[in-house]
Amino acid sequence: MTRRIHWSNWVGLAGLILLLVGSAVGLFVAPPERHMGDVQRIMYVHVPSAWVAMVCYTFALVCAIAFLLQRTERWDARMTGAIEVGVVLNALLLAQGMIWARATWGVWWDWDVRLTTSLVMLLLFAGILALRSFVEDPERRAVWSAVTTIVAFVDVPLVYFCVRWWRSLHQIQSTPDTVDPAMVVPLRLNAFAFLFLAIWMISRRADIERLIRRREHVSEPPPLAIEGGPHA
Amino acid sequence: MRPDPKGAGTVHQAWALIRKDLLLEWRGRSRFLSVVLFGVVTLLLFSFAVGPDSVALRAGAAGFLVLALLLSSTLSLAESFRLEQEQRALEGLMLLPVSGTALYYGKAIGSTLFLLLLAPILTPVGLVLYAVELEPLRLAGLMAVWLLAAAGLSAPGTLYAAMTSRLQSQDVLLPLLLFPLVVPVLMASVKAAALILSGDPMSQLTSWVALLIAFDVIYWTLCGLLFPHTIEEDL
Amino acid sequence: MPEGVIIGGWNYVIAAYSLTAVGLAAYAWSLAHRARRRADDER
Repeated sequence: MTRRIHWSNWVGLAGLILLLVGSAVGLFVAPPERHMGDVQRIMYVHVPSAWVAMVCYTFALVCAIAFLLQRTERWDARMTGAIEVGVVLNALLLAQGMIWARATWGVWWDWDVRLTTSLVMLLLFAGILALRSFVEDPERRAVWSAVTTIVAFVDVPLVYFCVRWWRSLHQIQSTPDTVDPAMVVPLRLNAFAFLFLAIWMISRRADIERLIRRREHVSEPPPLAIEGGPHA
Repeated sequence: MRPDPKGAGTVHQAWALIRKDLLLEWRGRSRFLSVVLFGVVTLLLFSFAVGPDSVALRAGAAGFLVLALLLSSTLSLAESFRLEQEQRALEGLMLLPVSGTALYYGKAIGSTLFLLLLAPILTPVGLVLYAVELEPLRLAGLMAVWLLAAAGLSAPGTLYAAMTSRLQSQDVLLPLLLFPLVVPVLMASVKAAALILSGDPMSQLTSWVALLIAFDVIYWTLCGLLFPHTIEEDL
Repeated sequence: MPEGVIIGGWNYVIAAYSLTAVGLAAYAWSLAHRARRRADDER
């Protein structure tokens, strides 16, 4: 019996290959940066992680709005996947950023604007996952997490600007933005790598969520007769 | 709940709700006094955490006051729906022709007022403990910041409190959800308050107050729009 | 920006890359594990 392989698995495989190639190029082919030397190579995983984490959260927002409008289970499942994968990438990017900070500034944490904002983002979106784990009714869980996702997402730019002003009062160095053309290739490869891997992970997580929902429907008691029933 | 096409009806309902909550609050004023006491205790704890270093205390005064407000708000917000929850009054409210929007704004305004009433007590205590001198005009500015911060906490706080009041672990979830969200409120109000307390050499006060106002406007609108979704299964 | 070049940064690079690899692999494994468990529950 042949089983068709879902398209997302092909995307995941592509992502894995791209990650291996991109990392290899970033580690061994790309030149070391002028000031930071080889430490700069951390950027080839850090920047893509940050970018794709943001993409995941944005997709979660889209799913949240779509769910509130259409009320289909699929949007809730995708949203949950997007949040969870976003949180995982967010945690990774924080760890990478701390290693970077240790390497360049000698401290594990230096209140860098983007890193501080991503720490708040991690707490915001991990909180939504925590909320989900406490709500038993599936419909209520879906509505509440959609609402919380929208509220949390709107906060992100506010937090960013806040931290930026807060920081500008105390002078600080920031992570360099300019990219040498030779570095674009591994960055781009890894960006697509993380994106494809994220797509695969979100699809798998959404599947799991749908299975969970199916189980809950099975164990639900049958609805009581309400309007128009024999006792109305 | 029937939809309310005319805004005026919503305002009337919200006002009725605020009056009800304020009356209940007045009748059970021991709760308010307890929250006040809690606020005073936290102010004291910050002093003990820092030590009898008047320079450090004065420098952190704005932060301590705002944190005391934040911690007190989790108590008051959690309570705002717990009363309804315990006496199943929420379902009773739902049966009345009260729109979800009116319910939200009624509760949120009530919470803001509650937190605002903490100011006249907590501020003098804080100023004394942290050895801060303040002219009356500056005090008025501080009160304005307190109001904006209270509003900033109440808007998302009411939304979250309504949800978490129906859950077992509200005492954990409400702060867990609220605290990261109100980071802008915290930062802006602490900065604004600190500038008021110490003088404002570089006129940054307006930017921070503008940020606070922006947060308040955005969240009072957004949460008001989203709130009816969170209580709809009770309709 | 510090003048000069940071030398001996490879340890940090290796740390960051391995952490990322382990993190992604662990999460992917947890997804597969949870999916398998749910599928088993179905039967």
